[in-house]
Amino acid sequence: MRVVIAEDHALLREGIVAVLRENQIDVVAQAEDADGLLRIISGHKPDLAIVDVRLPPTFTDEGVRAAIEARERHPEVGILILSQYVEPIYTAELLAGGQSGIGYLLKGRVGDVPEFLDAVRRVADGGTALDREVVSELMQTRSKADDEPLDALTPREREVLALMAEGRTNAAIAEAMVVTPGAVEKHISHIFSKLDLSASDDDHRRVLAVLTFLRANGEARD
Amino acid sequence: MKRHPKALPLHVAISGAVAVAVTVTWAVTGGGYFWPGWILLVLAYLLLQHGMLWRWRNRPADFFLQLDWVLVNGAFLFVAAFVMVPLGGDGMVIRGVIYGALFGGPIGLVAWLLQARFSSRGAKQLEERIGELTRTRRGALDVQADELRRIERDIHDGAQARLVALSMQLGRAEEDLEDQPEAAQLVRQARGQASAAIAELRALARGIAPPVLADRGLAAAVEALAAYSATPVDVEAGVDRRLPLVIESAAYFVVAESLTNVAKHADGATAQVSLRLRDDALMVEVADNGPGGADPDGGGLSGMRRRVEALDGSLILVSAAGQGTTVQAELPCE
Repeated sequence: MRVVIAEDHALLREGIVAVLRENQIDVVAQAEDADGLLRIISGHKPDLAIVDVRLPPTFTDEGVRAAIEARERHPEVGILILSQYVEPIYTAELLAGGQSGIGYLLKGRVGDVPEFLDAVRRVADGGTALDREVVSELMQTRSKADDEPLDALTPREREVLALMAEGRTNAAIAEAMVVTPGAVEKHISHIFSKLDLSASDDDHRRVLAVLTFLRANGEARD
Repeated sequence: MKRHPKALPLHVAISGAVAVAVTVTWAVTGGGYFWPGWILLVLAYLLLQHGMLWRWRNRPADFFLQLDWVLVNGAFLFVAAFVMVPLGGDGMVIRGVIYGALFGGPIGLVAWLLQARFSSRGAKQLEERIGELTRTRRGALDVQADELRRIERDIHDGAQARLVALSMQLGRAEEDLEDQPEAAQLVRQARGQASAAIAELRALARGIAPPVLADRGLAAAVEALAAYSATPVDVEAGVDRRLPLVIESAAYFVVAESLTNVAKHADGATAQVSLRLRDDALMVEVADNGPGGADPDGGGLSGMRRRVEALDGSLILVSAAGQGTTVQAELPCE
């Protein structure tokens, strides 16, 4: 797997690079600002770009803006945003285009190496990886607003969908909810039918379900 | 206008001393026509002017102040004339009127003109001072808002980043210690501590200066607030441009505090937030359909009021029992 990184803080950049390289992930280029990020994505065509939200020169949300621009130019490149804050608004913006291969993690999660690597691989493969804090804030929002497609879901199904949004597998969801994998599959099939996702490709439906969940959130903000 | 605090008592003392001196001189030189009366009159007149200046130092310089000034002067000189006349001899009524007119008229007029000039100068100085204070207060608040933003950045780029780097290193150490479960457990606990510290710093920094406010402006930040609020909130954000950071922060603070209050005191209620930008002011309104009856002096509300008033704004609370609660803030922004 080939990865590029945009992070202006040298200490953190070196830390992330070390974690990736120790686990046989190829870091092909590094950037310190938004322009650099766009350049290395165009130049290296990586599987994944890991992007800090705050980059020079204004240190606000250049990372997100650059990632959205990179997305438009190279839709096949996975984007994993790292931030020190939980800001689901950025996730919603990234997902506004409706593509997958998007992740948003708190920087502190990099320390949990297996979980971080899992997220990196998933996003590079076109899946999603949302920080559990982002998901829990989104769920809190959703449980009270009236979103038509999600309204039909039972609380249990919402819980399953939230765990799907984090990017967990059926086995992991079953473990987290203390139920059998069979029960999880049943919930998921209910979610698919309630969200009108009857396509044949199961993985793709999974992504679409998560996108429905996130887009509902994005629209609530417009 | 600068005044020495002891000026009036000093004036009284000097006048008294001069009065005693001239009277003694008159007595020693054999009495007769009481000429020191004229000196006493002048001394008393000056004291009277000084006294009025002191007494009315905080009155607005309007027509009524000038009228009072003329009336007091006229009355003084008229009475003084009657006092002087018996000392001088016969024809006291006619001479009293003449003296009264002679002194009272011109001196009163001069005093009036002087007073008008002094007081208009005072009013102008007062106006300048108010302008200066308003500017410097606003400057101080702008500096404070910038400082809070800087502190947030320092936390983000400093302590928080170091802790994140530490957590990454601990994570790598944990990986290397796969064959030593006890050591790995210790490292995992240390990483847990680092994560807790990161979370605490994150909450702290977010409270100091919400990043989304600085990044995306008031409308986006308020919508984010509404989205994460425990109560269902409807937002109508009629603000399409960036405002000074200090105004945005205050408006954000009012909305955040109000929504916290709704969640705390109006369980099950829904809220409506509206931001409207007029030519010269930002109007912030948070209304809920809860039980009402909020305490206007409660900690949250008085904090909001202080913050809004510091920007020359105003905050209104409408919260009759059973009628829901509405908080309205008006924040002037030129």
